[in-house]
Amino acid sequence: MSNNDDKNLKLLKEQYEKPVMSDKAVFEMKQRMEQGKEEKRSMSKKKLFKGLAIAAAAVLTILILPNISSEVAQAMGNIPVLGGFFKVITIRDYQYEDERNVADVVLPEIKTKEGTDNSVTDTGKKTADEINAKIREIANKWVEEFKSNLEGEGYQNITINSEVINSTEDYFTLKLICFWSGGSGYEENHFYTINLNTGEKVELADLFKEGNDYKRIISENIKKQMREQMAADEGILYWIDNEEYPEWNFKEISDDTSFYINENGEVVICFNEGDVAPASMGTVEFTIPMDVVANILK
Amino acid sequence: MFRRKKKQDEIIEQIILKKYNSYYRMAMSFVHNEADAADIVQEGAYNAIKNSDSLKHIEFAETWVYRIMMNEIYKRLNTKKVKSIDDGDFIDLQVEDKYENIDLMIALDSMPDNDKAVIQLKYFEDLKLDEIAYILGENLSTVKSRLYRGLKKLRCKMDDLNMKGGERHVK
Repeated sequence: MSNNDDKNLKLLKEQYEKPVMSDKAVFEMKQRMEQGKEEKRSMSKKKLFKGLAIAAAAVLTILILPNISSEVAQAMGNIPVLGGFFKVITIRDYQYEDERNVADVVLPEIKTKEGTDNSVTDTGKKTADEINAKIREIANKWVEEFKSNLEGEGYQNITINSEVINSTEDYFTLKLICFWSGGSGYEENHFYTINLNTGEKVELADLFKEGNDYKRIISENIKKQMREQMAADEGILYWIDNEEYPEWNFKEISDDTSFYINENGEVVICFNEGDVAPASMGTVEFTIPMDVVANILK
Repeated sequence: MFRRKKKQDEIIEQIILKKYNSYYRMAMSFVHNEADAADIVQEGAYNAIKNSDSLKHIEFAETWVYRIMMNEIYKRLNTKKVKSIDDGDFIDLQVEDKYENIDLMIALDSMPDNDKAVIQLKYFEDLKLDEIAYILGENLSTVKSRLYRGLKKLRCKMDDLNMKGGERHVK
């Protein structure tokens, strides 16, 4: 651009920069920001209660589980099933409490029966070790962050717990629930599914016949469910068909997307907070109807 | 992780407190009304704080807040446009002293909203083109063509001005 252009743009810029927000308007803006913070905080409180309820439910599940397992084992008689091979125990790991900081970390650990040896149980043991290590790694990270925040001035509360979704004869899923509340709430779930017939850890791709575009088929169904839910309830919001922020929109699940198999044998896709919806929606799940994937399931 | 989230909240708050006049100027250039512009910035600040968890990459925080402000401006323009047909509300360009610039200001103001925003973000707020693309939710090539089109329009006016200036000198 020529010097004259520069000069003219400079004049325009001076004109453009003239407006300044009044003190009153700035004060009102700060109030509005406090209001935003307050609303965020109350949302996270709601989530804290939800988190505690889940934690309570998890404790119940674990107390009842041994009885169920033995009943199942008895019913099965002498048929060798891996279902009786895995057992989940919970360990009170890291506990801390002062005026501003509370940590309640109870970790699940998958145990395998000793003494039996064949390739399937060996695989099972390896899978269990692998999952236990992953859970330990996640918990360590959370506890480290919690400890490093102890010096700060804010309030914080972390809860780590688990739930066994002991759903079908073929699959076994362990859900690790990590919950944090402070200035805002944050929940993160991890799912681990084991194939009880092989002892192997199951990935989403393992469920489907090869050469099928299961990601697209499932994603399309999730989008359909999102649209239906949003149409039915104004309070529900997913990032889909959002024109203001198109790059936030849910496009497709990935190989790492969490899932489990429910008691009807249906695949349930799980998203963490903020993945496919505003964080205020929390973690969300979509049950994929059998008829959608019936043709491509193994 | 949660410490990142907490830090993120603070970063967004600091950005707003540092840049509110910049958002305000942008809002003023579109709505030409102090009360509306203040309202836009206040709503934008509220939305940014409340939804700060939605920001996925903290390094985009500044442009992310800008983008929320820009959306507030466009939201307001859409309701205003419908209204102004009824009450015959004319835009009042508050130009006091720089009389020679009024043609340029009108030229800038009469551009399509996004062309105007690109020029202002680039030359008055010194943002990079890829940042502008993110703020406006458009791809880079669209932003580039808006920039060239806008500059061309301004340059025509500038040439006029420069010529007039030259004539005056001759006289």
